[in-house]
Amino acid sequence: MKVVPFRVHLQLPHAHTINWYIRKLGCDIKLEVERFHDLDMRRNILSVYRKILQDNKCRCYCSHRHRLTNGEVQKKRVALFDGEKERQMSMIRRIEKISVEYRGVPEECTLIMNKGLSTPFNCAMHLQELLMRRSVVALVNGELWDMHRPLTEDCELTFLHFEDEDPRLVNKVFWRACSFILGYVLERAFKDNHHVQLCSFPPPDVKSGSFVYDADLDLPNWQPTQMELNCLSRIGTRLQHEDLKFDRLEVKASLASEMFEDNRFKSEQIPEIAAQSGRVTLYRLGDHIDISKGPMMSTTAHLARYTVTAVHDVESDKYGPLKRVQGLAIPQQLNLHYWTYNKLVNRASKLNTKHLLGHPVNTDQHRQEASK
Amino acid sequence: MKPRRFAGAAGPGTGPEARLKKIRRVVTALIRHERIESTFAKCDEARGYAERLIQIAIKNGDTHRETMDMADYWLEEKDLVHKLFKVLVPRYGPLYDKESFTAMWRLPNKLPGDGQGMSLLELKGNPWPPIQPKQRDTKFLLTNILLEEFKKDYNSQKKISQSTKEISEKTNISKQEVEEIDSNNNASDSVHNKDTDRRT
Repeated sequence: MKVVPFRVHLQLPHAHTINWYIRKLGCDIKLEVERFHDLDMRRNILSVYRKILQDNKCRCYCSHRHRLTNGEVQKKRVALFDGEKERQMSMIRRIEKISVEYRGVPEECTLIMNKGLSTPFNCAMHLQELLMRRSVVALVNGELWDMHRPLTEDCELTFLHFEDEDPRLVNKVFWRACSFILGYVLERAFKDNHHVQLCSFPPPDVKSGSFVYDADLDLPNWQPTQMELNCLSRIGTRLQHEDLKFDRLEVKASLASEMFEDNRFKSEQIPEIAAQSGRVTLYRLGDHIDISKGPMMSTTAHLARYTVTAVHDVESDKYGPLKRVQGLAIPQQLNLHYWTYNKLVNRASKLNTKHLLGHPVNTDQHRQEASK
Repeated sequence: MKPRRFAGAAGPGTGPEARLKKIRRVVTALIRHERIESTFAKCDEARGYAERLIQIAIKNGDTHRETMDMADYWLEEKDLVHKLFKVLVPRYGPLYDKESFTAMWRLPNKLPGDGQGMSLLELKGNPWPPIQPKQRDTKFLLTNILLEEFKKDYNSQKKISQSTKEISEKTNISKQEVEEIDSNNNASDSVHNKDTDRRT
């Protein structure tokens, strides 16, 4: 089949011109969108053409001519996220009440909260400041629940923290959140000419000694120096003072794929993720948005130490060459001597082979570096 | 060993009988209340008699005459004989010959006081709240999990390095041996050669 390329530059081809091409030639159309400073305008153009092409049951190839920057992509995602959130909130027309039975310190009690609006954090606000500060995640009817996710029905509520009787679930949540923050760090650490595309992070495994994010950093032969790693770490450490909240939102797969169309890995993963329910769970931290099943910890104020320990080259069977970025973090509630922490950092800088998509590159070299 | 000389517990001249009477009261109180507080000396002495009483009660049962006599002697309140055989014997049967039936704790000295150390004597498995608070298990704290795994890693690497050392040492020895053998062979060859030289 023939492909007719259209270069879209401020003067747009008319819709009926495209229709004519499709009817006469029966061909697919390739749209090449030139650089527009106005991001909204470019998106509007694309959506108009997509609609035309879909009406004609014709395939559409869109290619962006100019290199995207992470800042632009973030802005676009945040705009879509905000719009969707506003839409979902406007669906709640009438405020209904639910009863929440709280179990735990300082006393067991029943709270009357708003359905679909009140979160476990709001319940903690009614109870005690300590609970607001130290709670990492809530347990709603025995199920892990984000602190800032609205409650949907009558439930039993408990709060979990790092020094609980059995904090393994909380540890997992913390480790997952730290991987997510690693994505946050990578997306804003580099200059605009490096378009970072995050791939995925494996399920949290504290025992492996480090949390991981696999990404394409657009820096093929980069071996980070200690100074560069410190700079990456500092972006994460700074989050402790910024006290950013993890915001959860469930969206349709179509919206998610629109959001992540600039990321070749995520746009490939979204259909798999949405295969069961047709919905994708997104988390937002500041202006960083990523896909994760969750749950996440309540805020970044829980971080005490955050270190990016190593960047390793790995080769994925599915996605090609990737960088595996590893890190280590300790929550505020638990203390460690710096000597002990440095020992753990040394261990965390070795290649973490958990859930490696393919195989590591130059493992001997990494071992030598680790032993140094 | 000299037999212990009992001091008069109810004043000078009262003799060992008064002391035994005192200890009987402590044993009786222990069986009644299951946790008592007294001076260290009294608790320590009464403990042995209480242990022995329960031990023979488990061993002989309530049909043994001598055991019944002992129970009658040590328990001043006679309803406790029933408690001994019906409650304590089933409770401590499994502990027989394994561990003690009682526990003793030292209490802090009172100041100002008479200088007598106080202590607390209790039957194990009593219904009172435990003396020692339950210690929190810190095994699963995030830092402890990380440190535990670090320790495992470190030990396994140490083992590997040790084994490689041993292997390398062994190979060195074998190399030396081989060299020695070689040199011997060469020497003998040279001797042979010399011989041959001589012959020639």
